[in-house]
Amino acid sequence: MYIQSNNRNIFYVSFLMFAVSCSTTNNTEESVYNSTVSSVEVSVAEDSIVSYDEKPITTNAVVYFDFDKFTLSTKSIQTLKSVVRAMNDNTDMVITVSGHADERGTREYNLALGQRRGDAVKDYLLLNGINNNRVTVKSFGEEYPLVTGSNDESWSKNRRAEIN
Amino acid sequence: MKIYFYLFFVFLNLNAELVLEITESSDNPYRIAIHNFDGQASISNEISAIIKADLQRTGEFSVLSSDDLLTEEVYQEELNYKNYRLLGVDYILKGKINSKDRVNITVSYDIYDSVKEKKIRSSKIYGIPNKTRQLAHYVSDGIYEEITGLKGVSSTKMLYVSEGLVGSAKVYKLMLADADGMNEQTLLKSNSAIISPSWSPDSKEIAYVSFETGLAKVFIQNIATGSREVAVKNKYQISSPAFSPDGKFLSLTLYQDGNAEIYILNLENKNLTRLTNHYSIDTESSWSPDGKKILFTSGRSGSPQLYEIDLLKFNTKPKRLTFDGSYNAKASYLPSNEGIVFVQRNEGEFKIALKYFNENFSRPLTESRLDESPSISPNGNVIIYAIKEDKVGLLAGVTLSGAKFRLPSSSGEVREPSWSGYLR
Repeated sequence: MYIQSNNRNIFYVSFLMFAVSCSTTNNTEESVYNSTVSSVEVSVAEDSIVSYDEKPITTNAVVYFDFDKFTLSTKSIQTLKSVVRAMNDNTDMVITVSGHADERGTREYNLALGQRRGDAVKDYLLLNGINNNRVTVKSFGEEYPLVTGSNDESWSKNRRAEIN
Repeated sequence: MKIYFYLFFVFLNLNAELVLEITESSDNPYRIAIHNFDGQASISNEISAIIKADLQRTGEFSVLSSDDLLTEEVYQEELNYKNYRLLGVDYILKGKINSKDRVNITVSYDIYDSVKEKKIRSSKIYGIPNKTRQLAHYVSDGIYEEITGLKGVSSTKMLYVSEGLVGSAKVYKLMLADADGMNEQTLLKSNSAIISPSWSPDSKEIAYVSFETGLAKVFIQNIATGSREVAVKNKYQISSPAFSPDGKFLSLTLYQDGNAEIYILNLENKNLTRLTNHYSIDTESSWSPDGKKILFTSGRSGSPQLYEIDLLKFNTKPKRLTFDGSYNAKASYLPSNEGIVFVQRNEGEFKIALKYFNENFSRPLTESRLDESPSISPNGNVIIYAIKEDKVGLLAGVTLSGAKFRLPSSSGEVREPSWSGYLR
């Protein structure tokens, strides 16, 4: 009984397959999608604190980092000690720390990494008595390299935090 | 047997910034014969050339033109299938162009199967003025879908960022182009960096990161009107936007907690919901095709690795997805949800890699040193990404069937490609 019905199913399936293979051609009709595009132009705001276009970058101090790291080296700490002294001597002085990464790795992760580098500098300054309000941190990720070139020398110069 | 194609497309549009080169095709392509379309010869030639290029670019087709075929076949009503089989042709395309002028063009085409000896598809496409290329892409997509069973992507578009010099000043542009790099249009021109462009699911809006205010900020821009707004108005750095598949939410990386954390922005009421909470970097979020999961890069293990959050089990620990390699980042799901595509560091070099969920290893897909920003075509078959060659950034592509192509720019450098959804 079971076998019989199964056979019948096979018959139906093969009949259907036959019907499908004989079926009419796939017919379609459609229109091309119409789209319009507008173009926008923007320029850097006049009051932006750090501008990386045109002019060479001028910085008061720069500290460098290892690949995918945001820890301060002993040399960096020497640099930051002089920043602390300068800020203690001039209590009106407020600074921006801009974190950067080299071109390796993904752009968004490098943006976050640049932020961590800037934060590492800020943390050191705060630990040494500088007021939180005097230090702003931002990251430019790998978007504004100091030097071009895909080699260790260029990369080590681009993994940096600039203090302006 | 590997078949190599070297095609250089220089059409009448001299403004085109990207020039497509197909460098490698897959092993066993479908062989299709494309006859000249009946109708005005100049339009026919243009359309045939575009279709041929589109199909070869998929890496899955080998195209024979009228010249390669037995000439007496061209105008014959009944096809002599045997002759096609002798040439190893699997499919035959015949078409007709109706055009009173070059403005209003309609194309009808039929696809024949040389083995089954019958017509398998008959289609008609109504063009719109001055979109002959797009019309041809629709034919390519119809052929691709009929033969492979997958939707074609020739009629889709991509975003990318270009960087060039005007005098001594850097100019960054967010560009929109056809999937073959042609027909490019500027969406945003700026003297500050632009990164991370992405599409809304209806392909009408885009989100991206611009540094124009001096700080990374996410903007949402309408393609048709050019109107744009800052996604989240506060004084903090914000980046890495990704629209949810239903278009109602935007995932973002916010830096307001003193560290990169992922949030979800409700685009209707502008409410923000925090998704990650860790002192390490969390960024590069992307949505699963069903919108139920978020994939992201986190430094919580000490190096960048990929994690997944189930939005329905909100408070559970994110699940780590990658264990091989010291750097796995910027991932997105395949549209089939069968795996992820991401950037992997391997022996000091960065490649695009693919990992299927049912496998415990990842497969490198690319072979240069600094590959990044992979973006997957809506049919899941092609990955476009950015590479560096002689210090210059350019776009390259690889299909899951093994074909490869490059889209170098004729001037300046290009990067950050982002593939649209289907535009039809």
